[in-house]
Amino acid sequence: MNLIIVAGTASVANLVTTAAQLDGETLAVVVGSRAVAERIATSGVDKVIWFGEPGDRPLEAFAPAVAQAATAARPQVVLGGRRPAERVLLGAAAAALRAPALIDVKEVTSQAGTVMVTHGVNGGIAVTTREFSGPVALMVDGGGVAPVQGAAPIEETPAATLPMQVTAVQVTAVTEVDLAAAPRVVGAGRGLRAREDLSIIEALAAALEAELACTRPLAEGLDWLPRDRYLGVSGQHIAPRLYVAVGVSGQLQHLAGVRSAETIVAINSDPKAPVLAEADYALVGDLYELVPAITAALEQP
Amino acid sequence: MKIVVAYKWAADPQEATVAADGQVDFSRAKSAVSDYDAVAITVARHLGDTHGADVVGLTVGGPEVATGLATKAALSRGLDALMVVADPALTAAGSTGTAQALATALAGVDDIAVLITGDSSVDVGAKLVPAVVGGLLGWPVLTEVTAVAIEPGALVVERAVSGGTEQLRIDGPAVLAVATDAATVKAPGMKDVLAAAKKPVQQLPADPVVADGTLRSTARLSGPARRGIQISTDDPAAAAAELVSALRADGVLIGGQQ
Ligand SMILES: Cc1cc2nc3c(=O)[nH]c(=O)nc-3n(C[C@H](O)[C@H](O)[C@H](O)COP(=O)(O)OP(=O)(O)OC[C@H]3O[C@@H](n4cnc5c(N)ncnc54)[C@H](O)[C@@H]3O)c2cc1C
Ligand SMILES: Nc1ncnc2c1ncn2[C@@H]1O[C@H](COP(=O)(O)O)[C@@H](O)[C@H]1O
Repeated sequence: MNLIIVAGTASVANLVTTAAQLDGETLAVVVGSRAVAERIATSGVDKVIWFGEPGDRPLEAFAPAVAQAATAARPQVVLGGRRPAERVLLGAAAAALRAPALIDVKEVTSQAGTVMVTHGVNGGIAVTTREFSGPVALMVDGGGVAPVQGAAPIEETPAATLPMQVTAVQVTAVTEVDLAAAPRVVGAGRGLRAREDLSIIEALAAALEAELACTRPLAEGLDWLPRDRYLGVSGQHIAPRLYVAVGVSGQLQHLAGVRSAETIVAINSDPKAPVLAEADYALVGDLYELVPAITAALEQP
Repeated sequence: MKIVVAYKWAADPQEATVAADGQVDFSRAKSAVSDYDAVAITVARHLGDTHGADVVGLTVGGPEVATGLATKAALSRGLDALMVVADPALTAAGSTGTAQALATALAGVDDIAVLITGDSSVDVGAKLVPAVVGGLLGWPVLTEVTAVAIEPGALVVERAVSGGTEQLRIDGPAVLAVATDAATVKAPGMKDVLAAAKKPVQQLPADPVVADGTLRSTARLSGPARRGIQISTDDPAAAAAELVSALRADGVLIGGQQ
């Protein structure tokens, strides 16, 4: 038996396909609305446990319910995504099972009670393969929504929840972006001197028909772009055909999110910036000169 | 009332070297209070000052986390006291093992209002330890926390969510992982460093913790090989034209193959 944790969204196709390759059936525990539970039931899993509508409870309040379900199911592998609530619930399952928890999982196989996991370590600078005889909790990028397949039964279980409650919500009206699906992405870094200067990066992105992304400091701290637009070990992971890093130093915490890009272009004024060594095309120079020139060149027929 | 803050003494993998067989060598990298844990300590200090509570640091790891260098570095950031679990067995502890050691240490402390943690550790960066600690203690866990207030019997928390913020009310103690921009970190001054030497450090014994499986192999990261083509930028317009035609030839621009 393997368990996938669903929290608030049915975008867990990668978890479903990963679980399907493993020995044993797949149980999905769903925290969130009935609509999510119903969608998961048609994603190819064998059984769904749903804890009822959350109402004003945050998804994290369901940690004991997930822990209880994990303890009862005695899974070999528990899979969860990278979003905040998914991490909290994966951690709760790992705690209940006293299971090791790993991130950046690249490959997992199971056979006769043994699980082999290959995963990146230390921000993805190396990979390790480990063997487990007991349960293990693995964090896997959720991916999109799985295609419709089968109809698993949904068991509605009343849940023990923690005493926490959402009392107010402020929406800053940003639409969620799917950077992972974009074929081209332009990433801006602190090489930009002012927020207004984002316009030259936006112009490049428009000419490339690319999504705009950034490094963490631009999203947290400077607040120039929303949090779901930063790339890296703790941000989004992308694998586009083209990634253009502009004024990005290329610390490994950032590169961890973009290493799977097919082609990387780096523009940086410091010839020693680590990003230049990780690029297919390296341009050492002032972004304020180079970016408008590239935009103009792209706009020429 | 106590506010406990979990911080890691760790080195930035940017400074580690990776051997041909994938072994990561941290021996030449310098450890420090993990970047974002300095934010957690700052948030905890403000909260302690507001409520007249003691702010106690807690760290677990190998023997190096108990050295004077390490404990003073943490204490000089504004903690009142420290609890340290240092044991060779914890050097390579994973997220669950680390969380077990933290939870065991916390179980021996009375009157904790909240456990504040950083967003992620610089060397592992899993954002998982707070979740597992909460699971082990049965405490609520929230991440991306941007503000905290303590009310009688409750915590009032604000956190960043995709597309906005949320206010929450939690009864009883909780684990709160603070956002990286929840507070501005100040470098400790001379007075802080001197005061740190006089603050109490309590060493706790380590219990056995879960192992991270059996290591079978290590390898260097393999990704797409990079071509490392330098484009001369003496003339920006010429550089731009050269880049665009190269990308077009690669087929990665609009209308390229696939
Ligand atoms: C636990 C942890 C997790 C982290 N997770 C992430 C993450 O997920 N994502 C992430 O991005 N970061 C992450 N970071 C932060 C990361 O370590 C770096 O600090 C960050 O990526 C640096 O951002 P930057 O490249 O924009 O800024 P900087 O490092 O300041 O680099 C700016 C670059 O711009 C160049 N520049 C300046 N002026 C110009 C100009 N006129 N023209 C061209 N170039 C110019 C400079 O040479 C420099 O290389 C994390 C850090 C920690 C500790
Ligand atoms: N060894 C440790 N000792 C104390 N706290 C830790 C330790 N490891 C992680 N933490 C805390 O857990 C947070 C998240 O760490 P991680 O899950 O490794 O990304 C850190 O910011 C710390 O607050």
